[in-house]
Amino acid sequence: MTKAISTIFIAGTIDAVWREITKTGEAQKCFFNNVMHTTGLRPGAMIQMRSISNKYVGVVGEVLAIEPPYLFSHTFKFTSYDDPYCKVTYKLREVAGGVEFTLISEDLVEGSKTAKQMTSGGEMIVKSLKGIVENGKPPFGMRVLHRIIGVTERFTPERCKVEHWPLVDVASSPQHTRSESGEVTPR
Amino acid sequence: METTEIDAVLQALANADRRKILDLVKADPGCTVSSVVKHFDTSRVAIMRHLNVLYDCKLLLHEKVGRSRHLYLNSVPIQLIYDRWTDEYGAFWGGQLADIKYRVERGENND
Repeated sequence: MTKAISTIFIAGTIDAVWREITKTGEAQKCFFNNVMHTTGLRPGAMIQMRSISNKYVGVVGEVLAIEPPYLFSHTFKFTSYDDPYCKVTYKLREVAGGVEFTLISEDLVEGSKTAKQMTSGGEMIVKSLKGIVENGKPPFGMRVLHRIIGVTERFTPERCKVEHWPLVDVASSPQHTRSESGEVTPR
Repeated sequence: METTEIDAVLQALANADRRKILDLVKADPGCTVSSVVKHFDTSRVAIMRHLNVLYDCKLLLHEKVGRSRHLYLNSVPIQLIYDRWTDEYGAFWGGQLADIKYRVERGENND
């Protein structure tokens, strides 16, 4: 298992950064223009990152911890890969003139598709967040990527379609099992 | 990115030992300070000074786990410097040329 950390200084308020990473019902430009859907931002709730069209689910996860506006942690799985769930944590810390934003990806299987995506994607996410909070828009490269994602959406694998990923609390999700001791784990 | 931050990153990179530390951490994310020190003939104190320079400019991040300090590379400051002098045209062609260089130097398509 491996772990990746990216950190960046953002000249903005901690509330603005927090809003960007937790907003639901509208596109999160720093997360590849996906929309967060959730059964409620609390431990045990499911989160999904869906395409703007609401036809595909790109990422699923369970909220592990949430301490506004300082910490948000959840499990994370790309629906298009067979890799196991990893863990993503966002830490926000007020510093002189702004916010130090840190993205931690852990429990990544070395060499897996998820590890490769998270290592390169983490840097893009923190950089985009800085652009959005400081200038109101993500960097040029991310804006181009948004267009490409929109154009190529129809090539998304069948397994990622919304109907295969019901949005219910993780404990009652068909993608998870509950052991006799009550522990909930992904299938 | 402030001028002082850019200066700090470039000064940190302008040292072969510090670049070697970044290479070691990139190859083994989460490695300990002790494991990095083993790769150098210089004293632990000297390496600690290099680590502090890398921490200060955020090229290197550390997490304390028990008595060990685990190290992670943060490439974001380098990316921000890259962005400053790279527009979309330069990024595309620069990437293409770098790709050709890597392919040729790896010996791909040499048959």
